[in-house]
Amino acid sequence: MALTLEQIRADVADVLGEDPADIPDDENLVDYGLDSVRIMTLVERWRRDHGTEVTFVDLAEKPAIEQWAPLLGART
Amino acid sequence: MTVSVLGRPVGGTPTRSSGAGLPLTGAQSGMWYAQALDPGSPALNTAEYLDIHGDIDPVLFAEALHRTVGEAEALRVRLVDTPAGPRQLPVAVPAPGSGFPLHTADLRERGDAGRAVAAATAWMRADLAVPFDLAGGPLFAHALFRVGDRRWLWYQRVHHAVLDGYGYALVARRVAEVYTALATGGDAGPSPFGRLAALVEEDAAYRDSATCERDRDHWRRHMAGRPAVPTLSGRAALPSRTTVRHTAHLGPEAAARLRELAASVRATWPDVLFAAQALYLSRATGRQDVVLGLPMMGRMGSVALRVPGMVMNVLPLRLTVTPDATFAELTRQADLGIRDARRHQRYRYADLRRDLGLLGEGTALVGPLVNVMPFDYGLTFAGARCDAHNLSGGPVDDLTVNIYDRADGSGLRIDYDANPASYEDGEVAAHQHRFLDLLTRIAAGDPHRPLSELCLATDEERERELTEFNDTATDLPPTTLIGPIEARAARTPHATALIADGRSWTYAELNTRANRLARHLIGLGVRPGVLAAVALPRSADLVVALLAVLKAGGAYVPLDVEHPPARLALVLEDTAPACLLTDTATRAAALPETDVPAVLLDDPALAAALDRQLPTDPGRALTPHHPAYVIHTSGSTGRPKGVVVPHSAIDNRLRWMQGQYGLTAGDRVLHKTPTGFDVSVWELFWPLREGATLVLAGPGEHRDPAALARTVREHGITIAHFVPSALALFLDEADGELPLRDVFASGETLPRALADRFHATLPGTALHNLYGPTEAAVDVSHHRCEPGGTGPVPIGRPVWNTRLHVLDAALQPCPPGVTGELYIAGAQLATGYLGRPDLTAARFVRDPFGAPGERMYRTGDLARRREDGVLEYAGRADRQVKLRGQRIEPGEVEAALTGDPRVAAACVTVREDRPGDRRLVAHVTPASVDAAAEAGPLDPRALRAALAARLPEAMVPSAVVVLDAFPLGPNGKLDRAALPAPAPVLGDRRPGDAREETLARLFADVLGLERPPGVDDGFFDLGGDSLLAARLVARVRDALGADLDLGTLFRAPTPAALAARVAAGRTDDALGPLLPLRRTGTRTPLFVLPPAVGLGWCYAGLTARLGAEQPVYALQARGLAGDAPPAAGLEEMAADCLARIREVRPHGPYRLLGWSFGGNLAHAVAVLLRDAGEKVELLALLDSYPGDVWRGRPAPAEADAFAELLRMAGEEPAGDTPVTRRQIVAALRKEIGTPAAALREETVAAMARAAVHHAALTRRHRPGVFDGDVLFFTAASSGGEDRPSRDAWRPYVGGDLINRDLDCPHAAMTRPGPVDAIAETVARYLGERC
Repeated sequence: MALTLEQIRADVADVLGEDPADIPDDENLVDYGLDSVRIMTLVERWRRDHGTEVTFVDLAEKPAIEQWAPLLGART
Repeated sequence: MTVSVLGRPVGGTPTRSSGAGLPLTGAQSGMWYAQALDPGSPALNTAEYLDIHGDIDPVLFAEALHRTVGEAEALRVRLVDTPAGPRQLPVAVPAPGSGFPLHTADLRERGDAGRAVAAATAWMRADLAVPFDLAGGPLFAHALFRVGDRRWLWYQRVHHAVLDGYGYALVARRVAEVYTALATGGDAGPSPFGRLAALVEEDAAYRDSATCERDRDHWRRHMAGRPAVPTLSGRAALPSRTTVRHTAHLGPEAAARLRELAASVRATWPDVLFAAQALYLSRATGRQDVVLGLPMMGRMGSVALRVPGMVMNVLPLRLTVTPDATFAELTRQADLGIRDARRHQRYRYADLRRDLGLLGEGTALVGPLVNVMPFDYGLTFAGARCDAHNLSGGPVDDLTVNIYDRADGSGLRIDYDANPASYEDGEVAAHQHRFLDLLTRIAAGDPHRPLSELCLATDEERERELTEFNDTATDLPPTTLIGPIEARAARTPHATALIADGRSWTYAELNTRANRLARHLIGLGVRPGVLAAVALPRSADLVVALLAVLKAGGAYVPLDVEHPPARLALVLEDTAPACLLTDTATRAAALPETDVPAVLLDDPALAAALDRQLPTDPGRALTPHHPAYVIHTSGSTGRPKGVVVPHSAIDNRLRWMQGQYGLTAGDRVLHKTPTGFDVSVWELFWPLREGATLVLAGPGEHRDPAALARTVREHGITIAHFVPSALALFLDEADGELPLRDVFASGETLPRALADRFHATLPGTALHNLYGPTEAAVDVSHHRCEPGGTGPVPIGRPVWNTRLHVLDAALQPCPPGVTGELYIAGAQLATGYLGRPDLTAARFVRDPFGAPGERMYRTGDLARRREDGVLEYAGRADRQVKLRGQRIEPGEVEAALTGDPRVAAACVTVREDRPGDRRLVAHVTPASVDAAAEAGPLDPRALRAALAARLPEAMVPSAVVVLDAFPLGPNGKLDRAALPAPAPVLGDRRPGDAREETLARLFADVLGLERPPGVDDGFFDLGGDSLLAARLVARVRDALGADLDLGTLFRAPTPAALAARVAAGRTDDALGPLLPLRRTGTRTPLFVLPPAVGLGWCYAGLTARLGAEQPVYALQARGLAGDAPPAAGLEEMAADCLARIREVRPHGPYRLLGWSFGGNLAHAVAVLLRDAGEKVELLALLDSYPGDVWRGRPAPAEADAFAELLRMAGEEPAGDTPVTRRQIVAALRKEIGTPAAALREETVAAMARAAVHHAALTRRHRPGVFDGDVLFFTAASSGGEDRPSRDAWRPYVGGDLINRDLDCPHAAMTRPGPVDAIAETVARYLGERC
């Protein structure tokens, strides 16, 4: 099942222990506590649940939800 | 097996000008400076190997490696030092087989794979000990070992300035990718790596950005008011060349549970490890506030994600560990702290240190680094899987805990990497073992329970602490302090009891006198439980008075007659004694007005009254629980506090002392300690209990070591006590003839050096270190110092019926090696503080390890156990200080200060602004304007005088600093660390010689000081940091020609110490005929001949550029110092130079270089050498021309020489104005920092005269023919049409004339820039690297 923007946001909020409503689409997630362990968790989760092919570097290079959406083939 | 030779770049002509290449990023600079500290150190090497399970084609592998390295621009650099700072230049990487740094070996003949792997790793460790040459490059090396038919090890070593851990992963991934493509006929695709320039640009952009400013502000705020950063070793050291590594594994079950625990509190498992390490550190150091080092990959959202380079950073992670918090809360705190740090992660560690003023040695910003590596590479080489093994992660300042997730589900690998200068091998292993034990218990426990339930010690350690180390139970009869004295008097009435005031008393005489006085005191109401004050100078009367109070059943309160009357009044008020025993003179001179009835021992009326008393021991209802004495100590709230010690406690103490040291009738014990200190209690009463003789030092004699030595000698003293600082003075007066049998030291730390001196001075005397607070009857632990002991002198083991516990903040036992607070339980505890139930309850607490109702005393002292249970003292847990044996509560001094109407607030600290100079300093703020108007202005001197009237001398601050306001931390609390040192900051010892003067001036220049510092001021104490240090070293090198490295500056940080170092390497007169610019180095020495002005200082820059292995000696013209006539001809001068050269190097080959006139001289020397059959392997001429070319031209005058000298100093003469000597002196001093004493205007005049003379010699001289090659440097921007041509040398040179044009004028050839090119060309010509 393809990812949606909402799902990305929900998953990010989950690994950060935050409310999805508090996670903006256009801001640097590093400022919200995103780190390499959490990015790897997301990479693995999305590969397992959604069959995505993104790598750690892909996500780490531009750590913002709106940047990730096209990489993850998300419907917006 | 052969060791590979590093590939060197071949061909190409890399430029050396400062503009070439790229500057270093902040991350690289940190590593570059770390290397500069110790250029020969291999500590900056990082290394790992991949264990490849499968078959590898070594040729394809080498090809993959070569291609990857070619793509990895950031890896392929060398780092050169330029006047503009270090820069990175590309290095050529030759192909495999043509010099590519890849060592290969097949180790299968070693037998099984285990042996082959061992052989390979042994090779790797040897290779790891080889430092890289930063300026030469390449800064990486590889090896490929075949250790089995289908097993290979790929090793890589890289300098940390060009690669970090993430970079390793990028390189390994790409090599695997390219190899797989080559092996399977696939396409590896284009280079995945980003450009080095992008990294440098990003770094520069950040440094210029507002974000950087914001980050700086963030970190300064975050770290302001930080406590001294605790480390597990409690020591601070410079990084060592090696690292101690211990590897251990946490099993998969515990690891899995830690992951679950992390998930249950919405954290990651690395957060859990940070929390656990913080808990460990907090417990191990006894600090709530701890700072861990948080390594940051530093690549999120950055181009660096694709650059294999050095990017990582370390940030402080500040955590607060309180016993009541839960582990879950601590994990959450770690998670939030790391998130917060991540927002500001680009701010460099080195910059933060500088911002915070953490400079030089012994100043940590962070404790242990916790480096979690959560990913396995997961790579395959054409299908062959592999695992990575880290061998070295670079330098370790203190301790680095590396944690690797072993992706195969086998748990965590936990490496402890420690600086061997700070940790013993066993300590590292013990910390690691305990940390894993703690992790296992955390994993098994409930994260929502308080942290106090988690103790640091393992079960076994806890058991030893509570039983084995405290096994002191000894059955003793229930007696008192005085009972055994009376019994002894009855048994040996005729033995000598006391020698004082020039006569002696038998036991019977003393007992009788004391009995009569006791009966008199009973009449005044003295009885068990009642106090009587005693204020007498050291005399027989004092002994009689104390015995009488005790015989009456009372407890004595000693008043120190040297204390101010105001303080004694406080004590009298507190204790409300039944009477005050004193004498007429003391009362008049030292005592306050008081209502307490006085008993004047010199009163004739008293003598008459005593005669009427019975001489026998009085009856009294005294039990061991009654108080024996009350001694006052400094109290933090502003009043001294009275410690009430019962008979049982002091009786135990004296029975232990007799059991341990066995006094006999022949012993003589010296009493010299004022009675206000409890040491006096055993001095006075131990001999009287055992039939020995008590000998009193005269009044005031305790301060006179020579008088004490005399007393010891004259009276045959066998037992004496000294506070260590007083012992040091006594030893100056002592010799092996002294009759001393045992000397006891207590009251402050006994330095090992002092113990050593003691044994050397008094070889027949035993030295015992005792420890104990007044609150536990003098001493509770003892240690006999043996000659030849090392390390800190321990305070030893507990005395009889005493338990000593080293406990952490949660009152859990600390394991050996871990510092905790010392608690005392058992027979010797005081009853408490007189009239202070609150204070008593706070310090005498329930003993959780004892029987119900037992108490333990919280000493406030820190201690740790050695593995064998012996205790070592480790300072104070609170602000209490000891100065010269005196216990001081800064709070008491502060209370006295704020009691002054002119003072609003005060803070008292012990400072050591100068090593070895510990002193009490007060900082105060003035009271309001109104109050000040009434009380007068705040004058520090007047304030000290006022204090001296109220406090004992030791408690009066030696300096009072008035501040407008106190520096505050972010929490609004006083920031003690930020209190300024009392002025003057600069020392005042003036330079003793020219070298010290020069160094002091260079310190001032580099540090921007208004005036030169004293020669004992430390560079880092004055605000120096590593950047400034590098600058200073360069200046010193230029000014003094001293071959100095940064490490030397760290070891000798004052002008005086540095001057001594320089002198040790070079003691020559700067104007002498031979000036060694660098004596050391493995290469053939280079002799440089002076230009026309005759001095060789101008070659200092060239010397620096030629590198540490090239010795350089400058020849100088005679006569500059006015001590010899100038040479009559150039040939004669050359012969003279040759004689000096032969003194240094009797035979060839020789290397010669000369600039200008020096070139003519060098040529002449070379001709003489060849005539003598010697080999000349270098003759380098710097824009020098034979006399022929000058003959048609006007001869230079002194004025021309002056102008030339000014140009040499880097200044252009102004138009037609004649150049003055003063101008030249000023310019030269400014430029090359010449030793001021050596360079006078007369010297400049001599130089100008020499220049004219030398020009004339050149014109007259007919050169011989040198039958070798000449390396020529042309100053290409000098002159015009009629500039001389180097071809003028053709008739005088048999070999080739090899030229290099330099884009500079003649006068600038030895200035930075041109010398780089000269050094590089010379080195290449000789086939060496500089």
